[in-house]
Amino acid sequence: MMEHFLDAFGLAFTPMSIAAIGLGSLVGLIFGSIPGLTFTVALALALPISFSLDAVPAIGLLLGTYIGGMTGGSVSAILLGIPGTPSAAATVLDGHPMTKNGDASLALGTAVIVSVFGGIFSLVVMIVSVDLVSKVAIGFGPAEIFALVLFGFSTICGLCGRSLTKGLISGVLGLMIMTIGLDLIEGVPRMTFGSVNLLQGVNLLVAMIGLFAIPFIIEAFSEDAHLPKTPKKMANVRPELPSFRLVFRNIWLMIRCSLIGTGIGAIPGTGGAIASFLAYDHAKRFSKKPETFGKGNIEGVIAPETANNAVTGGTLIPLLSLGIPGDPATAIVLAGLMIHGLVPGPALFMNHASEVYGIYIAVVLAYMWVLGLQLLGIRLFVHVLRVPREILAVVVLVLCVIGAYSIRNSAFDIYSMAAIGVAAYVLVAVRIPITPIILGMVLGPTLENEFRTAMMLSEGKVDIFYTSPTVVVFFILAALVIGLQGLSELRAKSKTKQKVEVSDA
Amino acid sequence: MTDQKRSFVLGSLLLLLAVVWTWLVIDTIPPGFGEGDIGARAFPLIFGIFLGVLSLLLLINVVRSKPECEPDTDPNDSFQGVIHWLPAGLILIEISGYGYLLNTCGFVIATPIVVLFVMFVNLRIRSAKLLFGMSIGLTLACWLIFEKALGIYLANGSWINIG
Repeated sequence: MMEHFLDAFGLAFTPMSIAAIGLGSLVGLIFGSIPGLTFTVALALALPISFSLDAVPAIGLLLGTYIGGMTGGSVSAILLGIPGTPSAAATVLDGHPMTKNGDASLALGTAVIVSVFGGIFSLVVMIVSVDLVSKVAIGFGPAEIFALVLFGFSTICGLCGRSLTKGLISGVLGLMIMTIGLDLIEGVPRMTFGSVNLLQGVNLLVAMIGLFAIPFIIEAFSEDAHLPKTPKKMANVRPELPSFRLVFRNIWLMIRCSLIGTGIGAIPGTGGAIASFLAYDHAKRFSKKPETFGKGNIEGVIAPETANNAVTGGTLIPLLSLGIPGDPATAIVLAGLMIHGLVPGPALFMNHASEVYGIYIAVVLAYMWVLGLQLLGIRLFVHVLRVPREILAVVVLVLCVIGAYSIRNSAFDIYSMAAIGVAAYVLVAVRIPITPIILGMVLGPTLENEFRTAMMLSEGKVDIFYTSPTVVVFFILAALVIGLQGLSELRAKSKTKQKVEVSDA
Repeated sequence: MTDQKRSFVLGSLLLLLAVVWTWLVIDTIPPGFGEGDIGARAFPLIFGIFLGVLSLLLLINVVRSKPECEPDTDPNDSFQGVIHWLPAGLILIEISGYGYLLNTCGFVIATPIVVLFVMFVNLRIRSAKLLFGMSIGLTLACWLIFEKALGIYLANGSWINIG
């Protein structure tokens, strides 16, 4: 254990590793702070860069981008009243009124401190939980893994977007895309139409770049892009650290919100936005002055910012212990892990313990970078917020092409990225959520391979899927998630119907 | 277009996709041999059938629900359900053209041409300083960072090769 930990220090504290984590944190902060340009885009673009790095710096780069992006969303939320990322939407409610009241510096400083607290707290919970979950998961066979992936997948489809049907359609589309190419078990070409380029299938990384970056570029280039233009004049801000008294007065709130964030993050398909709104609601309910919420109460910044950063540790629990990514950002981290030979799951801790501990240290380093960068470089982000979105979109376009090309040095990947990106833009416009597509693509091959392996092991007998209690439990949970989501949608519809009838009368 | 009409068109297109997909799967992928081998066909076939069932469900929901009075727009939604076909089509052409130019002329020539074109056509920028500054500056910055500092190969042209 100690030996692995010392090795991990050696891996994480190299100049390249520290620089990569710092670069990721900076890029994440910048992308996170620009409304419309999410850190998922930054992650998709950072992934090809990570190929040339060793495992720990590469994953550090990706996690730095993820963590920086999650924290950076608060900058525009507080200063402009526009959340840089969906997870910062709840921060607007009290963060922007604080700016209007002349307390922008305190809001920014507090947001950074509580973000780091939430992140480190969730990391500790994650380290303990990952070990426990892995010990349980080590006994899983193909049938159990199939059931587990099916459960994770149904949760993602059920909880993403506003319509269960559209969420499931999105997931099935992702699964279908991943069946294109050479079948891994029998070597049979599937839906390749005789094209040599399609034999390798649709590259996951190319698809990720297309799915997340191209819709942003199209929207930025559209004439009547509705996002408000960044005002030229912005308060000359610098973050002001909150007093110890303020921090200690809210320490229990921070711990409670960290637990909410970590718990929500551990459920696939939920994410930062849900966690931050739940934490905000929780803070308001238990506040001594609930009437001041929405008017610039500091607790309204502390709660969502602690929770959304605590999500980062939570999402890593199913990712590292079971190989199930909870959101698109962790799906990209998963791709990064696999490229560097770190296959998540119980075996990861036996085969690559040093690298895993190195990743834990990288998370701490990322938070240190975020803290330093945001406290010292806030003026840079304010300048970045002044750059027109269209110009940033041109830069993103070039980075997308570099990213797609560098994966296999193939122009075919650039064409695929363009086609997938435009299709994603249309899908988003018709309210099909993108997250289940990407997770369908990530989990699809595992789902199919584990089912086929289980069937081969049982020589075609399906009882392998109902004799194991673990499998049955996962199937019941999957059915429950879908059933409950469907029921809540039906209830919401009947309520709307009743409202319409009353207003007609 | 109202959300209901959009869902109807979407449901119909997805149903068509599901039918074509399922037919192609049955026609081109061989089935398994049995005795535990379910074959390469089973999963694509199941996914096609699932998509068909879900599209039908979407269509049934649209037909059964009351007609809406106004388009479904959500101020918090980043895209508001409006599809900008022209910029989307232009991007598709521009990125594909960029890919072709990368193969033939290489990164150093293709990038300024594409950036210049995008800024001139999509963004309607007419300032020569901004157009040339951005296209040359961005190309140079990317070339230095990716090719020279990170060692990522950025394509040399098959027709023109200036490294």
